[in-house]
Amino acid sequence: MQTLSTDVLVIGGGATGTGCALDLAMRGIRCILVEKGDLTHGTTGRYHGLLHSGGRYVTKDPQSATECAHENAILRRIMPHCIEQTSGFFVITPWDDESYGDVFVANCHRTGVPVQEISVAEMLRREPALNPRISRVFEVHDASADSFLATHSVALAAREYGADIRTYHNVVDLVRVGDRVVGAIVEDLRSGERIRIDCTYVLNAAGAWAGKIAAMAGVTVTVVPGKGTMVAMNHRMVNTVVNRCKLPSDGDIIVPIHTVAVIGTTDVHVPDPDVFGIEPEEIQFMLDEGEKLIPGFRQYRALRAWAGVRPLYKDKDVASDRDIPRTFKLLDHEERDGVSGILSIVGGKWTTYRLMAEQTVNELARRLGNTQPCRTASEVLPVPRFEHRAHAMVTVSPDPAAQTPHYWLGKPLALVESEHAAGELICECELVTRDRIVAAIDAGAYNLDDIRRDVRMGMGPCQGGWCIYRTANLLYERRCADGLSHTHANEAILHFLQERWKGLTPVLWGDQLRQARLDELIYAGVLGIHRLRALAEPGGGLVTQHPAIATEYVQA
Amino acid sequence: MYDTIVIGAGLSGMLAAIGRAERGEKVLVLAKGHGATHWSTGCIDLLADVDDPLAGITQLAIQRPHHPYALAGPAMIEQGIARVRAIGEAAGYPFAGSLNRNLLLPTALGALRPTAFAPATMIAGDARQLRDGRPTLIAGFAELRDFFPPLIAANLRAQGIAAEAAQLALPPTQRQHDFSPVTLARLCEQPAFRANLGEQLAAHVRKGGYARIGLPAILGLRHATEVVRDLQNRAGALIFEIPTLPVSVAGMRLYQILEDELLRLGGRIQLGGFVQRAEHIGDTLVAVFSEAAAREQRHTARRWVLATGGILGGGVRATPEGHLHETALALPLQTPDGRAGWFAPRFLNDQGHPVFQSGVRVDQRLRPLDAADRLVYENVQVVGGALAGYDPIREGCLEGAAIATGWAAGQA
Repeated sequence: MQTLSTDVLVIGGGATGTGCALDLAMRGIRCILVEKGDLTHGTTGRYHGLLHSGGRYVTKDPQSATECAHENAILRRIMPHCIEQTSGFFVITPWDDESYGDVFVANCHRTGVPVQEISVAEMLRREPALNPRISRVFEVHDASADSFLATHSVALAAREYGADIRTYHNVVDLVRVGDRVVGAIVEDLRSGERIRIDCTYVLNAAGAWAGKIAAMAGVTVTVVPGKGTMVAMNHRMVNTVVNRCKLPSDGDIIVPIHTVAVIGTTDVHVPDPDVFGIEPEEIQFMLDEGEKLIPGFRQYRALRAWAGVRPLYKDKDVASDRDIPRTFKLLDHEERDGVSGILSIVGGKWTTYRLMAEQTVNELARRLGNTQPCRTASEVLPVPRFEHRAHAMVTVSPDPAAQTPHYWLGKPLALVESEHAAGELICECELVTRDRIVAAIDAGAYNLDDIRRDVRMGMGPCQGGWCIYRTANLLYERRCADGLSHTHANEAILHFLQERWKGLTPVLWGDQLRQARLDELIYAGVLGIHRLRALAEPGGGLVTQHPAIATEYVQA
Repeated sequence: MYDTIVIGAGLSGMLAAIGRAERGEKVLVLAKGHGATHWSTGCIDLLADVDDPLAGITQLAIQRPHHPYALAGPAMIEQGIARVRAIGEAAGYPFAGSLNRNLLLPTALGALRPTAFAPATMIAGDARQLRDGRPTLIAGFAELRDFFPPLIAANLRAQGIAAEAAQLALPPTQRQHDFSPVTLARLCEQPAFRANLGEQLAAHVRKGGYARIGLPAILGLRHATEVVRDLQNRAGALIFEIPTLPVSVAGMRLYQILEDELLRLGGRIQLGGFVQRAEHIGDTLVAVFSEAAAREQRHTARRWVLATGGILGGGVRATPEGHLHETALALPLQTPDGRAGWFAPRFLNDQGHPVFQSGVRVDQRLRPLDAADRLVYENVQVVGGALAGYDPIREGCLEGAAIATGWAAGQA
């Protein structure tokens, strides 16, 4: 067995884990990060994409609100290419308690969340689709954020500082000598080989899976996987994040991001972060709630539903999962459980990932005798190569006149037209060209789902009808020399079609149902992929079927 | 006032219209747009996964008396197919195949797809011929994003066919960008473009000794048979087309020969007419209203054929609340009980998804029935994908059922 050695082994390739890896590497601490799937494969890649102003938490979770407000300003500075400055409204609809408005404003002031009341007329001028019966509007610093891109940027920076980041590496066991954790056994899911990683500290940043990792060290961490379901609608019916001004609840927020608007979320306790379903009632409920904010919401085309699991850390008995604080906690298992060599960073949210990393690495650095200060709040993050300038959320430019605060829907199209690249579009819904797909493959995407996370291939209205076929062929042509065979390419198509189907069935009606039937005509009719099932098998580095990363939704 | 108005311009609607026009009726095809023919392979699938489609259909008609094939009857199936073949023959675009033996034709992934009849431009791709041990070349253009020879060839090799892949250089053309299948089909009808293509193919044949060459189905729109014949002569090998993703050039050709035939017979076609509601007196449909620029347009006829398709064609639509409705005449539908029963957990399961069998139930003369088996309209017939109780894609009978029921409605 190959043995590697490092100072800190970070487990988890979400926002928190990659943030910690970057902070460690910047301070000159050697680290290896292992992630069982692709980067953002867990909760980071399955949320609505909100950069919190803190407004949602001012009443129930003031500490979290303050942290969000603080980090919000920092993230805008260090990852401007990942953030669209949408601004955010908290609105009181006829279904909400009118008196909460004053409480909300007072609590914003108390927690340091910038807020300003604007008139309903001003709100309607800026967002004409909103319900004119809304009675009060408070503007906050919400924004939408591309969590896929942000995590890739952080990982890129971490690698530049020397961090060793390994995706598709699953922790099989932690190595414990007496009361000390001294390393881990990990499996490279692509090759099946096992590696031993010796380290001074294990940092458990596995989010909703943190309880499973802690159990390998013989300690108990109670993480309540709180399932949040979201629906992407095929229209940016608003350009501003819109929240209901009330205590956080289901279906009370709409986030415009890229080409879509996402309505979220529900909060349902699930026993296992890998096994959950999306109930039709959840979808219907959110559509009903959407109607209250935007009359006619149901008439827009729903693209897809998905769910992420919040890594809520349960310290003590609380009545409902929504009452678990959204702030984070660093657990020192030596002090808490008598097991040294391992720390767990639990709870938190995407917006505060950097702060979580800073405090975690402060503690690790202190123990390792490293006195370097944290610099993650001031260093601007790099842009990955597959992220074409035209497709970034916003134009980032030193010239203020060229800087655009908003994602402009026509921009990618204008670029495709100016470069005469219409014939090069592999994903015609999201305007992804052949060059970008190939760049994502060359940058290390192993399967079609990885490519989707990188460039949004297959995320538009057709849900992969045309681009799955094209992208699988590009993957095959690009990687057949490295051992990717036709059986792997066939498997890639079958797997991705099934992945899409899981998120589609809850929202299939109208045009999207018709689209699903057209996709069936293409794949079961014109292409006959099901006739190649005997010629499809996992392998070739695709990692499509390993039980460690399978998230099979339970049929509702 | 028309004798017959056919709503929908897919395969079933066009067959019904041709049948009526042949009898001297004044016929209008009123449709939202081109039908699903433009999305399909351009072949005529009768029944997949059987060696003998006609025997399979006979068997199926006994087991499922409400299946469109059972309602249309074997004579209508044979006559309808014969009529389409005659139209193809007269248009210089013949179909080859048999009612009693499925062909196995390569797809753009290299799977082998059963179909009963294929245009002559595809016929040399039958797997029984490809397995004769002589080498086959699969060739395409890098500029065409809907056809990738390497994976096709690899999958064919895995099924015992000696296939190799090559990319051809795009022959010189004035066009600089965006080579869709339709663009390439038009270019193939230019002699200079085709000559260059032929030279390249001949060079490959000289080098690799290929007996057959598979190309994307882009070899001409109006004159495909001549294009293929010419390329075969130049290349010195048999050539076969492989259907590509929608929009399918071969599907467009099939539609085109039917449209030409209908117009020749004096029928009319009005596209852009989205039928939204109906007017009736008792159980007689009197008029329909289609969406037009500034008002509704009223259309009247003595008899009607509903050929709007199922969920794919747009004739059946679902609401977010989980109700399915028929879009043109608001006919009662046969649907699965409740939304929970619409889908199977796996997209490509063997049975398909129950929701896609939603459609209109009809009597033996294809007239619409309600849930209590009462006739809804005595002068309306329903054909093709709008019919309930079958899955044309999964059963592999998309064209066959459309032709059989369309032809039956045209004769009654």
